[in-house]
Amino acid sequence: MQDREQLERWLASEAAGQEDAADAAFAHLFAAVPKVEPRAEFVELTAARVWAERARRRRFAVLGWAAAVVIAAAGSLAGYAAAAPAGAWAIKTGIQLMSHAMPWLFAYATEAMNLWWVAARVGNHLALAIATPPRAAGLVAVELVGIFAFFALQRLVRWELRGEAHV
Amino acid sequence: MSVPPSDAELAKEALAGSDAASRALVARYATPAVNFVFRFVHDRALAEDLAQEGFLRVFQRLNTYDPERKFSSWFFQVVRNVTIDHLRVNRLATTSLDELKEGGFEGAAADKTSSSPEDLAGQGELAGALEQALARLRPEYREVVVLRYQEGLTHPEISEILGLPSGTVKTYLHRARKELASILSSKGWGPA
Repeated sequence: MQDREQLERWLASEAAGQEDAADAAFAHLFAAVPKVEPRAEFVELTAARVWAERARRRRFAVLGWAAAVVIAAAGSLAGYAAAAPAGAWAIKTGIQLMSHAMPWLFAYATEAMNLWWVAARVGNHLALAIATPPRAAGLVAVELVGIFAFFALQRLVRWELRGEAHV
Repeated sequence: MSVPPSDAELAKEALAGSDAASRALVARYATPAVNFVFRFVHDRALAEDLAQEGFLRVFQRLNTYDPERKFSSWFFQVVRNVTIDHLRVNRLATTSLDELKEGGFEGAAADKTSSSPEDLAGQGELAGALEQALARLRPEYREVVVLRYQEGLTHPEISEILGLPSGTVKTYLHRARKELASILSSKGWGPA
C-alpha cells in the first residue's frame, strides 16, 4: 500500500504544481520499477571482448609499425640504389661549375666597384659646384618668383571668371 | 576497510592496461548501461549487445576521457551515442506491456519478504503500469526520466550528457512527469 500512497502523493503534488515535492515523490515511486539485470556472464563476456579488442588493436599497432619500418628501409635502399650514380654526377658537376665561376665572379665584382668609385667622384664634384651660397640663394629666388607668378595667375583667372558671370 | 577506487582512478588504470580495472569498470556499469539501453530498445538481448558495444567504444576512447569530468556522464554519453546509432537504423518508438514482457521485463522487484501477496500484486501492477507509461513517452522525455530517476543523475550531469541547457532538462522532466501522471490517471491509477 506504500507505493499506492506514494503514487497519490506524487499525483497530488503534480496537480498542485509543487515541483520539488513531485520530484521527490516520483523518485521514490520510480525506485519500485524493477531494473533489468544483465545475464550473470555479461561482465565476463564484456571484459573478455574488451580485452580481445585491446589485444587486436595492439597487434595491429605493432604490425603497422613493423610494416612502416620495412617500407621505409626498403624505400631508402631502393632510392639509394637508383639515385647513387645520378647523385654523384650532380655533385661533381656542381663543384666544377662553382670552381669555374669563382674567378669570373671576382673579376666582375672588381669592375663594378671601380665603376661605383667613378660615379661617386663625379657626384661629389657636381654637388660641390652647385652647393655654393650664391647659387643656393639664386635657386631660392627663382622658386619664390615662380610661386608668386602662379599665385598671381590664379587671382587673374578668378577675376576673369567673375567678370564673365556678371555679364 | 579500504575505500573502493573512484571511476576516474579505474579509468586511468584501465588506460594503462590493467585488466582488473577494466573488469571492475564493466562490473560497476553493467546494470546501469543495460537498463539505460533497455528503456529505448525494449529487448533485453539487444540491450546487452548494445551495452557491450558501448563498453567497447568506451574502452577504445578511454584516452579521450578527461578525469576532471564525472565518468558516469561521459560513459552515458558514449552509450547513448551507440544506442542512437542503432535506433537510427532500426527505428523503435513506443511499445506495449506484452512486448515489454517478451523483451525481458520481469515485473516488480519489490521487497518480497515483507509485503503481503496483495501488496506484491499491487506493486507489480503499478510498476508495470509505470513501465508501460514510460515506454509511451517521447524518447527525449524518457531519456531524462531514466537518467534522473533510474541513474540518479543531477540536472547539470544530464544536461552535459544530452548536450542540452539545464533549463531544457528541467522542462523535459516536468513535462515527462505530467505526461506520466496523465497516462497513469487515464489508466485508473489516480486518487481513489
